[in-house]
Amino acid sequence: MPKNLVLEHITKKFDKIVAVRDMNLEVQQGEFICFLGPSGCGKTTTLRMIAGFEIPTEGIIKYDGKIINDLSPQKRNFGIVFQSYALFPHMTVAENVGFGLKMHKVPKDQIEKRVDELLEMVGLEDQKYKYPPELSGGQQQRVALIRSLATYPEILLLDEPLSALDAKIRVNLRAEIKRVQVELGITMVYVTHDQEEALSISDRVIVMNHGYIEQVDRPIEIYKNPKTKFVADFVGTSNFFEGTLYGNVLKDKGGWGEFVVAKNVLENSRITSGNVSLSIRPEKILLFKTQNEIPKEYEKRNIKAGKIEVVTFLGVIVRILVKIGESHVIVDITEKDFEKTMLKMGETVYLYFPPEDFLAFQS
Amino acid sequence: MAEARTIEVKPVKTVLSDQAIANIIITIFAIFFIVFLIFPLFQILKTSFIAEGKLTLKNYFEYFGKSYIRKSLWHSLYVSTVTTIITTTMAFFVAYAITRTTIKLKSFYKAVSSLPLMAPSVVQALALISLFGRNGLFTNWFEAKWDIYGPVGIIISEVLYCFPYALIILITTLSAVDTRLNEAAESLGAGPLTVFRKITIPSARYGIFSAAALGFNLTITDFGNPIVIGGDYNVLATEIYTQVEGMQRFDLGATISVILLVPAVLAFVLNNYFTKRNYALISGAARPFLRPSKPGVKVLFTGISMLISLSIIIVFLTIFWTSIVDVWGGRAGQSKQILKWLTTFSLRHYDFAHRGRSINVVWTSLWISAVVAFFGSWLTLIAGYIVEKRKPAGHQLLYLITVLPAAIPGLVLGLGYILAFIKVNWLYYKASIIILNIIVANFTLGMLNTMTNMKNIDKSIDEASTSLGADLPKSFFRVIFPLSRTSFWNNMLFFFERSMVTISAVIFLVSPKVDLASITIIHLIDDGYFESACAMSIIVVAIVVAVHAIFITIFRRKGLDVL
Repeated sequence: MPKNLVLEHITKKFDKIVAVRDMNLEVQQGEFICFLGPSGCGKTTTLRMIAGFEIPTEGIIKYDGKIINDLSPQKRNFGIVFQSYALFPHMTVAENVGFGLKMHKVPKDQIEKRVDELLEMVGLEDQKYKYPPELSGGQQQRVALIRSLATYPEILLLDEPLSALDAKIRVNLRAEIKRVQVELGITMVYVTHDQEEALSISDRVIVMNHGYIEQVDRPIEIYKNPKTKFVADFVGTSNFFEGTLYGNVLKDKGGWGEFVVAKNVLENSRITSGNVSLSIRPEKILLFKTQNEIPKEYEKRNIKAGKIEVVTFLGVIVRILVKIGESHVIVDITEKDFEKTMLKMGETVYLYFPPEDFLAFQS
Repeated sequence: MAEARTIEVKPVKTVLSDQAIANIIITIFAIFFIVFLIFPLFQILKTSFIAEGKLTLKNYFEYFGKSYIRKSLWHSLYVSTVTTIITTTMAFFVAYAITRTTIKLKSFYKAVSSLPLMAPSVVQALALISLFGRNGLFTNWFEAKWDIYGPVGIIISEVLYCFPYALIILITTLSAVDTRLNEAAESLGAGPLTVFRKITIPSARYGIFSAAALGFNLTITDFGNPIVIGGDYNVLATEIYTQVEGMQRFDLGATISVILLVPAVLAFVLNNYFTKRNYALISGAARPFLRPSKPGVKVLFTGISMLISLSIIIVFLTIFWTSIVDVWGGRAGQSKQILKWLTTFSLRHYDFAHRGRSINVVWTSLWISAVVAFFGSWLTLIAGYIVEKRKPAGHQLLYLITVLPAAIPGLVLGLGYILAFIKVNWLYYKASIIILNIIVANFTLGMLNTMTNMKNIDKSIDEASTSLGADLPKSFFRVIFPLSRTSFWNNMLFFFERSMVTISAVIFLVSPKVDLASITIIHLIDDGYFESACAMSIIVVAIVVAVHAIFITIFRRKGLDVL
């Protein structure tokens, strides 16, 4: 029987503020899941309830079939990695890593053995007798990681573990956490506000907002098929158009005129009429220098002319802000295409919005 | 695929959950403060408002009906107001000198101003009497007829007593106020006096108010100085003592206590309010380089700082000298031989046995202070940890209660103890009641120290320890305590020093069996052994300074900060 973590109708209130509302979730044993959302969305509160530092106001938390709502954090044996590392500054690296084992009354020689094995796992054998302040941020977080793994926790909880680190170290350590997770086959619950981190590392992403789960899905689905307008907006970059839907034509309120939307897009989102938001990713929009280049079969109503206002070089892609009337739209093209077309600021360009690449949300 | 385990780890066993432990601890503290703080205060109120089993204002009519006693209120208010104005002004100038000018000897001024904190609040009055009293050195020398006993003597003593407290607040304020404002004002054409008036003083206003409120509170609640130098000029604190010790009028004593509580608590609340405003104003301000001051400015500020520092040094030198000469100040009418009197040394004033007292009071003071230091530092650390890090139900209430003692004059709390525990054998006139009283009376500052320290310890550290399997006591001893050593040892020193020098808190609680050095100073003056009172003061100061020096040396060696 796999040991699953189940959250049923979990609500957490602080006085009158509702941090988490009626959350339902099942985490499989060995799974890597990420809570993703802006600050104050309830992701950290959820993690703290799983850890046992907060008790749910309503609902139950089950682990391995048993209700653990009131079980003290010591008895859950879930490891935790904190954003601030939370290493004990008065203990050496070895003492930090061995602390949990000492608390579990493991004999000294066994502690020594386990500490060495863990230090080896993250390549910190040389730092054994140093004190945390003598280590770099990345090394400190590695120590915090193995410290939380020492007592063979069944779930590892990570609360924004990388957000205090530099971008480069962040990417390295992210890979290392993933490697450790695969190696040990441990369940990991990871909290972050960094979408790149969430999408790259986890098996499933839980996007949260205002205490609600917006969507639970594999990273690719979160990106390609956001279920709500919030997810489309929060994960990646999207252009939005608000308007009223007649058949499969959106009459835009912002002066864009009309957009034709592919029928299957509307069917997939079960939208027939009314006030609707359309979104489209910047890389889905096609950009043409002249009208002649546009294939004849393209839907005329989805072609808009505008002026290039800002060009931002982002490495592999080039982000172009195009002004159409009083509104703006973001278009991404590859660096290669950008070189070829030699676009300039102020130049008039034609944008094509493919009907099948829209996402529709009822507003 | 699960990991192959190389060692065996068994689940943690705990008897009580952390929450249960936190609840038990907070309940114990609640009971402790109800019994040893709330109940005695309630007894004061009850005694003042109830006569012959009925609720009555009889005592208050009696207080305001007798003109001699009634005057003590006006005397207290007058003396405290004048002291507050003088102290705050002088402390502001010295603080300005230390933080904003480039005068020399800054650390000397700071060191000297910390001396009064290490002495019973009676040395100032003793020194004044030694120099200007009826048989004082200068009185006899100049064959003068001045009268130092009364408001003037009290005010000078209290200024010297309160100065260090005001100075600490104002140094903190002025060193943190953004001096870029001054430079901006100067660049706009403001002269130095305009900058001082329009920028420096307004930006430090909450610090000034806070120092003033504290000075007022310290003066109005002080007992040692006015009892020694007040003469016939009674203030509220001395009147409480007279009614209780002299007339056995506990009811009137309690009534005057209530009257004293009103301005004392008010000043305390104001101080708290201004301190908060002050911190809101000074946090995160920049401290640019200090430009060299003009020679005139240097002379002025050196003069003021030196004047006050020398006055403080003279206080201690005078009582020391008084204690080691055969006859201090000579005899009236023999001004010519004054030098001879001054150099005829003798240790006879240290022979307390011949004056109906015993040197044993020093040992009693020492061991009681050691016990107070031990329990005071541990209790404040535990309470601070539970309140700030574990936050069980009621933690805010406990915090409020622990702030209360600082608002209560020591004399009032002491009287409350007598009224409350007169029938409790293991407390009444025992060392236990003195120890409890000093711990409770000084709990606030110790607790505030701990809270500041706890706020600096990341919440995650405590939680990391918990998640790794440590229960509350283990987290406390293995993680929190090692990270709190600075505030812990500073608190221990603080409790020891307060316990050695306090007079007002324990004057009602001592007995011939359990007497303290600081109280013996008052008794020796009462009995007419003025030089011996100075001798006992010197012993107390010497012990406190020595212990302070030992602690500081150990702190330095262990790399701890001195708070």
